[in-house]
Amino acid sequence: MASSSSSGLTFKLHPLVIVNISDHYTRVKSQLNPPPLTSTSATVNGVENQQQAPRVYGCVIGVQRGRTVEIFNSFELLYDPSTHSLDRPFLKKKQELYKKVFPHFYILGWYSTGSDAQESDMHIHRALMDINESPLYVLLNPAINPTQKDLPVTIYESELHVIDGIPQLIFVRSSYTIETVEAERISVDHVAHLKPSDGGSAATQLAAHLTGIHSAIKMLNSRIRVLHHYLVGMQKGDIPCENSLLRQVSSLLRRLPAIESEKFQDDFLMEYNDTLLITYLAMFTNCSSTMNELVDKFNTAYDRHSRRGGRTAFI
Amino acid sequence: MDSTIAQKTWELENNILAVEAPDPSSDFIFYYDEVAQAMSLKAKPWANDPHFFKRVKISALALLKMVIHARSGGTIEVMGLMIGKTDGDAIIVMDAFALPVEGTETRVNAQADAYEYMVDYSQTNKQAGRLENVVGWYHSHPGYGCWLSGIDVSTQMLNQQFQEPFLAVVIDPTRTVSSGKVDIGAFRTYPEGYKPTDDPISEYQTIPLNKIEDFGVHCKQYYALNISYFKSSLDCHLLDLLWNKYWVNTLSSSPLLGNGDYVAGQLSDLAEKLEQAENHLTHSRIGPLGTSRKKIPGRITSW
Repeated sequence: MASSSSSGLTFKLHPLVIVNISDHYTRVKSQLNPPPLTSTSATVNGVENQQQAPRVYGCVIGVQRGRTVEIFNSFELLYDPSTHSLDRPFLKKKQELYKKVFPHFYILGWYSTGSDAQESDMHIHRALMDINESPLYVLLNPAINPTQKDLPVTIYESELHVIDGIPQLIFVRSSYTIETVEAERISVDHVAHLKPSDGGSAATQLAAHLTGIHSAIKMLNSRIRVLHHYLVGMQKGDIPCENSLLRQVSSLLRRLPAIESEKFQDDFLMEYNDTLLITYLAMFTNCSSTMNELVDKFNTAYDRHSRRGGRTAFI
Repeated sequence: MDSTIAQKTWELENNILAVEAPDPSSDFIFYYDEVAQAMSLKAKPWANDPHFFKRVKISALALLKMVIHARSGGTIEVMGLMIGKTDGDAIIVMDAFALPVEGTETRVNAQADAYEYMVDYSQTNKQAGRLENVVGWYHSHPGYGCWLSGIDVSTQMLNQQFQEPFLAVVIDPTRTVSSGKVDIGAFRTYPEGYKPTDDPISEYQTIPLNKIEDFGVHCKQYYALNISYFKSSLDCHLLDLLWNKYWVNTLSSSPLLGNGDYVAGQLSDLAEKLEQAENHLTHSRIGPLGTSRKKIPGRITSW
């Protein structure tokens, strides 16, 4: 059912959507499986402790500009098991509410959890087609697999294919990139690593920041190493030569060093000087404050002189 | 091994908590126990003790939503409501949603306009399986720090009278982006006429000159709560995987470019404060010796 998409649209997914879906799923799951501390439900659930995995449904909203589809946010929807489709009036209500706060976003598609796209999903997909002629289907796989290296999120589009002479809509997988704004990145970073935000001294914050940069550089390093390894293998002849890849690598290398112009140097040095000046000023203020305290202490220690009415030296 | 000893010392000094593997039992916080909540709402243990709530636990989702919403407002204050529950002396914030009102400092009853929105949203949420109630409100102070202004204090006092338990959260999106760590504060006001017995020293933050009077007048009328964050095991897993795609953004972000205006604004504010301090210095020299000596250190450290 899943082959690669040919529509040519680029998809950008924001991390908020992923956290939203995961939160929705966790909530529904924990409501269905109450913690064993509660006395009444423990006897009902018994010893089996089987974790039911419910399917949750919802809607994704965002913006489409030309060929780029950017998914910003999502909200929950109700699934009506009798009609095998999503609750329409509920969707309309939620859409109105969200339109008031985010007037630019409109419905781009829907999401669900599970391991793979199913036949019944096409039904829901078709129902949404009157709102958006080509809706997206975002699927999150909630199974926690520690060996997994890739995000368990897939985006499907629907395409009309002729199978056995009958034109049918099938799901095709599309690739996507993760897009973020600065504030989003900081808060995701914050929550991901649970950095100390309250009362953290300057040293720990600096350490945390540097750790982040260090791991990012480590990633970059490992990626470059993989490329290098691949190229060496190609040179030796172990791996068949792939010209398109070679072309990409050479274009990348030709772009380095990124910026060399004189204007850049001037701007950069100006910024650098500004930062140094600010640090200098802060140091100055600190020094004068410490000096003031010192003079205060000195005056207090030698207070008996002033009691006789003489003037003491003070700043 | 020296390195292991050094590492252990560093961990001890900086209170590093070991990161455990995500286990499903940590998701129990997501369970909404209606009976227990109804019981605690009836008992109202916060009615007798103004300092009852001491901690706030914010979920990853709520934090993300609040910060993004605050940032999207730019330099305009935005506000929204938080949904959650209470747990002993902690308030747990599970989710947040934005309200369609534009904040100006003088609109005390902005929430009156948004009540209909709030009721609608809460109803649809309950249907969709989010059973918690509104447990607080949040708003942003873009560029001038996390504290409650005079209007905020009176709004919150009103809320605490009629909508207990209620919490006020303030986010500064500009400082968040410029400093690289989330700038957030959670507050509860004391009831009218209550004098706090102990005065905890709060973390110092720079507040622009035009706001400092408002801050000073009201800063004793509320107290800050400790904030901690939590996330589900699935969130942990997803965020770890997300890091694989994220490292590019970390390297390519440049706070200098994004915050040129803000830094310039801070510097000019600092210049004004320095000038004011200098004026006070020259004036107080003329005064009597004893008092002037005490006033000067007060001036310099009041930034």
